[in-house]
Amino acid sequence: MSIRFHTPVRLKMVIDPKPRRAPWRDPSQISNARSFALMAAGVLIGLVLAGYSLFTARSASTLIVPAEDVALVNQQPVSRADYLALLQTLYGVDLSHATQEQRHKVLDDMIREELFVQRGKELDVAATDPDVRSALVNAVELEIAENAMTSQPSEAALRQFFETHEDRYVSEGVMRVKDLVFPASALPELSAEPEALERMISDAQTLARLNGRDSGRTKDEEFYFAAKIHLGDELFAAARGLASGMVSKPIQMPDGIHVLEMEQNKHPVPFGFAAARAQVLSDYRNQAVDKLKLSGESFLRKRANVLVADDLR
Amino acid sequence: MRFLIVLIMASLLVAAVFAADGYAARQLLRADPDALPADAMLLRFGVRRGRPLFEARCAVCHRTAGSGDPARGVPNLTDNDWLYGTGRPAEIEKVIDYGIRSRNPKSWNLAIMPAYARPQPNPADKNIQPLSPRDIDDVIEFLMRRQGRQADAAAGARGASLFTGHGGCYDCHSIDAKGDSAIGAPNLSDDVTLYGDGSREALHMSIAYGRQGVCPAWVNRASAASIRELALYVYSISHPGAIENGY
Repeated sequence: MSIRFHTPVRLKMVIDPKPRRAPWRDPSQISNARSFALMAAGVLIGLVLAGYSLFTARSASTLIVPAEDVALVNQQPVSRADYLALLQTLYGVDLSHATQEQRHKVLDDMIREELFVQRGKELDVAATDPDVRSALVNAVELEIAENAMTSQPSEAALRQFFETHEDRYVSEGVMRVKDLVFPASALPELSAEPEALERMISDAQTLARLNGRDSGRTKDEEFYFAAKIHLGDELFAAARGLASGMVSKPIQMPDGIHVLEMEQNKHPVPFGFAAARAQVLSDYRNQAVDKLKLSGESFLRKRANVLVADDLR
Repeated sequence: MRFLIVLIMASLLVAAVFAADGYAARQLLRADPDALPADAMLLRFGVRRGRPLFEARCAVCHRTAGSGDPARGVPNLTDNDWLYGTGRPAEIEKVIDYGIRSRNPKSWNLAIMPAYARPQPNPADKNIQPLSPRDIDDVIEFLMRRQGRQADAAAGARGASLFTGHGGCYDCHSIDAKGDSAIGAPNLSDDVTLYGDGSREALHMSIAYGRQGVCPAWVNRASAASIRELALYVYSISHPGAIENGY
């Protein structure tokens, strides 16, 4: 059986005054030889490309170690970056200064680790080893969180977050307060009138007569949280409301009557957005990570087939 | 026919360019990153490809020129003053790979700047105690003196003993306040500031309310080749003339 190609005859060719060229060189003519040559070239290029992809693709079994890896262990790559980092950690040298023994030792250690990891997967050690389980949970959470960590929120989103949670971004209050303590018997003599009480405690003789003394609980300037620890909740609550230069009413406590003399009280001041931005960004990302973790967990639960024992339903 | 020949030649040329590019990319990946600055051809290749990556991924924080932003605590990458490591390409690559406090287990996360005006300055280290407002002011005066600026001498002396004593600052920033690039503790004795303008207010914000900047990990978000190219680009902007001089 023979294949016959239809070759159109053109009248123009007959009257064309130009000298005739070989049919395979003339694109205006149909040439079987040229067609076969081009087809063969196409097939050859296709085969080369397919072969290259087949032997270098990540998912395919390959005989070539990718440039970013130092080894393939059962087709699992051992990263070059990890290799260099381990070389630096173990011997404090970079690749060009490492000896042949050091290079081999590190590579061998990494191959050994990969082999054991693969064996661990085969044995399903995650089913029994709590450390492996915990490491896997952390790794999956990290993978889920990565999107939030690498994306940069817009300034508008950060500002909106800041405005929604403004109460978080305040300075710590500072106070310098003197805590005077009197015996309970002095109560009738201690005036409830702040101005009179201020005069009494500023007079050393009156103070001595009433057996008043500095409790020593506070000294110098203190942050609010420190003052709260030193004074206790009740006295701190009274102190917090005093403006600088004010004196509190006598406060009865189990150890006597306390009078607080506020020398300086700087209330917490809200930070501006610019000052709080670093913290806002951190909080924003933490919130985004938490949201992603929740949605990741919800997705896992949705696709899972979980059967719970009758008695625990 | 001539058109066909031109087409084939152009295709071959494109294929050759692609092949050469692929070869250079593989060479780049296989090379010791610290040896790359000495290889002018590979360095130029990496820097050329790293620049658009930097603009796409890093410039949003570090700015297009890599000059950083002290208002946000984003370090300047052009001044060859390194917070982490000494600026070797392998160290830069490690930061890009795993980040800083990025939650990646391999990230650089050895220390944070505690918030000394909070009840628990560093939740991860219960041994660090808060400082009083006066203590913080004294430490600020000490740092101002350390930088050769005008400061209260008596307060500075008290600050020095806090710095090397119960304040615990020396633990990260070292006794001479020159910092420790192994843990990312900045040098406090020079005029390079990571946060703010170096004023008393800026120092107060750092000491009182702490700092813990984050750089994301790109290891699972970018290819190994892209990360190496980025590292070389960052190296090149911090070492002006590196490409021309080949060092």
